Formats: sequence, C-alpha cells, structure tokens
Amino acid sequence: MLDPKDLRRAPRSLDRRRLLQGLGAAAIGGSLTGAARAETEHHSVADAPVANAASQLDHVPYVGVHQAGVVNPRPANGMVASFDVLARDVDELEALFRTLTARIAFLTTGGPVPMLDPKLPPPDSGLLGPVVHPDNLTVTVSLGASLFDDRPWLKALKPTHLQRMTRFPNDALDADICHGDLSLQICANTQDTTIHALRDIIKATSRQLILKWKQEGNVPVVLPGPDGRAESARNFLGFRDGSANPDSSDAAEMDRVVWVGPEDGEPAWATGGSYQAVRIIRNFVERWDRTPFGEQERIFGRAKMSGAPLDKPDGSEFDVPDYAADPEGRATPHDAHIRLANPRDAAASANTILRRPFNYSNGVTRSGQLDQGLLFICYQADLDRGFITVQRKLNGEPLEEYIKPVGGGYFFTLPGIRDAADLVGSSLIAAARGA
Amino acid sequence: MRISSFAGASALALVLSSGAFAQEASLDLVEPIAEYKIYVSENVAKLVEDTTAFVAAVKAGEVDKAKALFAPTRVSYEAIEPIAELFSDLDVAIDSRADDYEKAEADPEFPGFHRIEYGLWEKNSTEGLEPVADKLLADVKELESRIASLTFPPEKVVGGAAVLMEEVAATKISGEEDRYSHTDLWDFRGNFDGARKIVELVRPLIADKEADFLKTVDANFDTVDTTLLKYKDGDGYVTYDKLSEDDRKVLAAAVNTLAEDLSTLRGKLGLD
Ligand code: HEM
Ligand SMILES: [Cu+2]
Repeated sequence: MLDPKDLRRAPRSLDRRRLLQGLGAAAIGGSLTGAARAETEHHSVADAPVANAASQLDHVPYVGVHQAGVVNPRPANGMVASFDVLARDVDELEALFRTLTARIAFLTTGGPVPMLDPKLPPPDSGLLGPVVHPDNLTVTVSLGASLFDDRPWLKALKPTHLQRMTRFPNDALDADICHGDLSLQICANTQDTTIHALRDIIKATSRQLILKWKQEGNVPVVLPGPDGRAESARNFLGFRDGSANPDSSDAAEMDRVVWVGPEDGEPAWATGGSYQAVRIIRNFVERWDRTPFGEQERIFGRAKMSGAPLDKPDGSEFDVPDYAADPEGRATPHDAHIRLANPRDAAASANTILRRPFNYSNGVTRSGQLDQGLLFICYQADLDRGFITVQRKLNGEPLEEYIKPVGGGYFFTLPGIRDAADLVGSSLIAAARGA
Repeated sequence: MRISSFAGASALALVLSSGAFAQEASLDLVEPIAEYKIYVSENVAKLVEDTTAFVAAVKAGEVDKAKALFAPTRVSYEAIEPIAELFSDLDVAIDSRADDYEKAEADPEFPGFHRIEYGLWEKNSTEGLEPVADKLLADVKELESRIASLTFPPEKVVGGAAVLMEEVAATKISGEEDRYSHTDLWDFRGNFDGARKIVELVRPLIADKEADFLKTVDANFDTVDTTLLKYKDGDGYVTYDKLSEDDRKVLAAAVNTLAEDLSTLRGKLGLD
C-alpha cells in the first residue's frame, strides 16, 4: 500500500518512473521511450496529457512558492467551481482557509480514508474506495472581487486589477454561471478524482462556502509524435489548442507572464499570486461543422490538421508565423484569431497570457443542439494587460459567429502554500490582521 | 465525421483549384447580387415604414395596436438578417434578447424589439418604453442608410441562405426568440422567405449541374411551407404554443437539413 509520506517527498518524475517500470515496457510498447522523453523534456501547460501514461500515483506537491495547478501541465480532467463565502471577519476567513488547506493536503497526497461507526454517515464519499490516490490532483484557490468589496475589513487589500467581469460585445452572460467570492480549479487524471475532491471540500466547508456554479471539462489525451513531443490536444472546433502558449516550464518566463512580483504595484501579500480569468464559452458546433474548411482555417489562422500557421502550411504547430512578411494578410488574415490575439509585434509580448483550457460537453440546448464549448482559463500577472486586453483585441473577430461566452469570472489566485505548516491565503490573513 | 468532412473539403479544394470555374461563377453572380440588393432595400424600406407605425403606437400608449403591429413589423427584418448582421452593433441594438444580458429583462442595457415586446406582453404596458422606441426607430433608419452604401460581398449573400437556417436551428425552433408574444411563426416565415429568395436568385447558375441538390432543397422548403400553412391565421400565424410537437419535429428536421444542404451553396458556386 501507498505511504502518503513517501509520496509527498517524491518528486513527480520519480512517481512517473515508478509507474513506467511498474507497467513494464511490453505494456506500452513503442511509446514508452516517447512518453518518457515527453515527460522529461517538456513540462508545459500546452502539452496534452499523454495517452496511457497517467497513473493514480501521479503527484503534484501542493506546497511551494506558488499554488499548484497553474504552470503544471493539464491532466485530462479539470473543473472550476465557484462559491459564495460567508466569513464575516478575519477569524472566520482564516478558519475557512485552514479547512481548505487541510483538505487540499489530504486529497493531493492521498492515504486511507477514515472510517466511523456505521450508524453515522461516512466521512468520505467513498468514490475512490478505501485509499485515496493523488491521481495528479491539484486544487487551486482564487478569490473574486466581491469577497473584498463586500467586507470593509478586507476591501483595502483587494488586488489592484481585481474586478467583477463585465460584458464584452459578443457575451450573453448567464448570471447563474458568473462570478463568485472564491473559485476552486480542480484538476486530475480522472473525473472521479475531481468530483471526489469537490464533494469532500463541500462537505468539509458547509458552514463557510455555498456552491454557486461549476463547469467541468477535459483535455483529450494524445499519443506522442515520433520525436517524443506530444502535440497539442484539439478543442471542440477540431483545432489544436495551446500551440503558441508560453513555455510554462520556463520559470523566468512564468515570473514575467504569470506571477505577481514585488514590483507589480500589488499589495505585498499578493506576491506569488496570479490573476485567473475564467470564461465558459459555448461553441456552436453544428454550425461550425457546416462551415467551409478553408474558412475555418482562415478564422483561426492555422491549418486544421497540423496546427501549422497558415504562412507555413507544411510546417508544424510549433512554427512561428511571420506577420511582418505578410503585411496584407494574404496568408494569415488580419482578423484571424491568432493574429488578433497576438500580432507578434514589439508591444504584444506585454499581453502574453498562459491559457489552460478544458473542453466541455454538457447536454442539449432547448433547440436540440449540442451544448459544448471551451472552459477557457488563463493566468496572468496583470489582468488588464493580459486577458482583458487580449479579449478586447479579439472583439468582433469572425470566430464570434461560432462562439458565445456565457459565464465565468475574474479571480485572484492566492500565493503558494509555503510548507506543511502554512495555510493558503496566510499572507492575506496576516495583512488583514495588521491593517 | 471528421474524416468525412475532411474528404468533403478536399473534394471542394479540387473544385476550387479549377480557377476558371470560380472566375466564371463570380462574374455570373453580378446579376443575382444586384437583384438581391434590391430585395434587401425593399425589405429595409418596409421595415422603416412598419417600425415608424409600431413606434408611434408604443409612444401613444396604444398597447393593443402596438401588439398587433409587433410581429408583422419584424418579418422584413428577419428576411434580411444575414445582411443586417453584418452590422453587429445594430443587430444587437435592434434584435438582441434578454439572454444576452446578465440581468436579463431587468438589465437597463436590454434594447430593441424584444425589450418592447417584454413590456407589451409581460407588463401589458408601454410605460418607460418611449426612449427604447425612439432608439429602435433611429437604429432601423441607420440600418437602412448603411445598407444603401454597402457593397454586398458575394460570399455573404450566398452564405446568407445557410445563415438564416442556422439562426432558426440554433435559437428559434424552440420558441425562444419571441418568448413573450409567441409570435415566432411569423419570424420563421421571414427567415425561410429570405433563404429561399437567395436560392431562387442563384438557381439559374446551378440548375443544370445541381438538379438533385435543388430538388432536395425545394422539397424541404415545401415541407416547411405546408407545415406553416396549417397555422396560418389571417395575414399571419397563430402563436407558437399552438404548434404541435409533431410539426415542431418536422420543422426542426427540415431546418437542420436545409442548414446542412445550404452550407454547400457557397462552395457549389465557387465562392471561397
Ligand atoms: C471558444 C473559444 C476559443 C477557441 C476555440 C480558441 C482557439 C484557439 C486556437 C485553435 C488557437 C491556435 C493554437 C494555439 O496557439 O493555441 C488559439 C490561440 C490563441 N488564443 Fe484562442 N480560442 C478561444 C478563445 C480565446 C480567448 C477568450 C482568448 C483570450 C482572450 C484567446 C487567446 C488566444 C491566444 C493569446 C492565442 C495564441 C496566439 C498566438 O500567440 O499566436 N483565445 N486559440
Ligand atoms: Cu432575429
């Protein structure tokens, strides 16, 4: 059986090596070296989960300078759940953070679930059986503007750019799936693990959190290519999504793009945190499937099958488009999604965001169409320069005919839980007490 | 599914790569597009005329009269929606729905026809609608003037037939569009007429090569016509709630098939 303490200490690659050994080369056949290499060489959010390589023992440490679940590669399943917070004073907020931290520590580390007298309800839902395995679980805690705005004792500590999400021209926001005081991004190899974590946390925080909305999604698993590198997974419009994401294994780049630093004009407690933008974006997939292939490619500015930029049609998704050589937009139209989102001029690098989306498939609309889309999540050190600026550039893009943002919100991802004695949000609590 | 649409696309690429065909097609389109522009201009003129009367009734507080004018006024807008939608700011101002706003009906930003529809049917009143009505008339007139100076892009005109069917398929077939007045069948009429007009205009260009295609399309339009005819009431239609479940399914299947078929019209005409 698995000793949680061992796991906590084991670096992730060790777990992985153990897994690969455990499965044996024969079980994975030719893809073993590919998978292993993909694992060691690339460790980026853009990388899709590799088929048949996930294990229940995969483990992401919940402690660190930053929270887990932001720069880690996406596992196959993810969700965002948003809550109202009751906390009326600092003590109650701290109590909430304490409970959350304890649950996160247990759930992401794993171990046997406690048993009680059978005359009582069981303390664990039992979804994962008698022993919880980490299964790559991350739980990322972020706070909405309303948490600060509605509390005089917290208001002065609100991160500079944190605000309530407002409507963009193509939005049709449904109040039932927007905003919230606190968001949890929960990601794991399997859906059962994300749901188990959510149910565990709901049960443990019933006095402090009220669930407002949630959206689940997944990233299709892919087989690594011949070079060992996993290609980006496809979204529900059939295009590779993630190709041009910044490299989240590059710590310096993440400090620039994602993490709030001491010089960012944010309250000191926020250093090491990030802004999380969540958008639930419906895709009109029937209509998309009836759109000419060439137009689909021009709408994104990429080749549908390979993901290559349109000015390098024989290249790969990792080739970089050269817009300077295409001033008239002959290869890549000026209103193509990728050209608007990132014109790749000197100014645009200030607007880089780290996208971490999941596809969702919910059910059927009243009109008998599929309710599918993208649970778009992105992280950035400055919400205005990041998501909001990029979305403004995208306003009016031809893709809008096929998508409808219907929900989501803006949140501030708390700095990391430094060690086993620390709490999520401890710097905020300390600041609130000091104030 | 993905594989078959890919195969379809490469077949299309083959067609498109015979440049002569595309060239010839776009020359041939000059006349249908000129004719379509006349059709759109007539409809938008009618829209301005009808909206003027509708708005006057709203401002005079004549609830019953305004209710009676609501559905017929919208028909000419619905018929030319693919062109109106080229001006997305105006389309939002004229025809957006409560769902487009976070506070739904209570949202102060909720404008246009459906804002007025909400007041007339849900509140049985024109109270507070005067500025909304004035703005609607101004927007409709602005639409007329923008259309007058618009060069109609051929792919938008030909693609418009499919766009109209997509609109019905995505959010109208369920009766969501006119949810307070339930006058949806009037809108359907406008949407189908607008789509069929486009097919009629390009018919001579593909009549020989695409006889089977046109036969299928005609048959589906006819299904729609006979189905809607059952619900005719005077110059218009009974309310959406009278539509039987069976007929709703018949309409839904016809709309989906028309959307599928008409989505190939651009390609068939060599338009990229
Ligand atoms: C349903 C909605 C969306 C879909 C289907 C979609 C899809 C795509 C695809 C296929 C790419 C090209 C591959 C890649 O680099 O990942 C891309 C790139 C990108 N998208 Fe989106 N996207 C959506 C929404 C958004 C939103 C809301 C934003 C931000 C406001 C955004 C920002 C970007 C950026 C920054 C890039 C990279 C551009 C570059 O650096 O070349 N996307 N998207
Ligand atoms: Cu409409």
